[in-house]
Amino acid sequence: MRLGYVIGKATLGLSDPALKGGRFLLVQPLSREQFAGAPMLPLAKGATVVVYDGIGAGEGQVVGFTEGAEAAAPFPVPTPVDAYASALIDQIHYTPPA
Amino acid sequence: MQLARIEGTITSAACHPSMRRGRTVICQPLDADGRPEGAPVLALDQLGAGLHQLVFFTTDGSETRRLVGDDHSPLRNHIQAIVDSAKASAT
Repeated sequence: MRLGYVIGKATLGLSDPALKGGRFLLVQPLSREQFAGAPMLPLAKGATVVVYDGIGAGEGQVVGFTEGAEAAAPFPVPTPVDAYASALIDQIHYTPPA
Repeated sequence: MQLARIEGTITSAACHPSMRRGRTVICQPLDADGRPEGAPVLALDQLGAGLHQLVFFTTDGSETRRLVGDDHSPLRNHIQAIVDSAKASAT
């Protein structure tokens, strides 16, 4: 699981029927500096991920998201999802060694 | 399985129920020389690993689902062992 900053939402026009009713977040994975408390803006480098919203997150929040086959595990039927937000993060206690 | 150092924890009230089967720690993956490699990741910890301890974690989701006893858990990483020492001696 990685941590990411929610920067927006994706709404779908045409989609696979299995994705109907789902909410999708645009998530920017956190850098090491941001774990340590650096501001979320400017955004960390790296690709933005589209994540299925399993918890009801909003813009400006930090979420924990899983990628890979496990992202489809919470669904009762096989669903083509490969990133799933499973935790709304309240606090990050990060103390790297000096 | 990957070598990592524990660098903190997170708290989350709204999370998948399977995440309550242990605490969630922040792991910094390390390279062969013990240097940080990439951004930290989260892992479930049922062993009680301490801050800055060396551990290794698995990214095998099926094993993690078995550990938490939930076939529908999205968790992937969990701490498998606390490492006393690790030394790379390749030339």
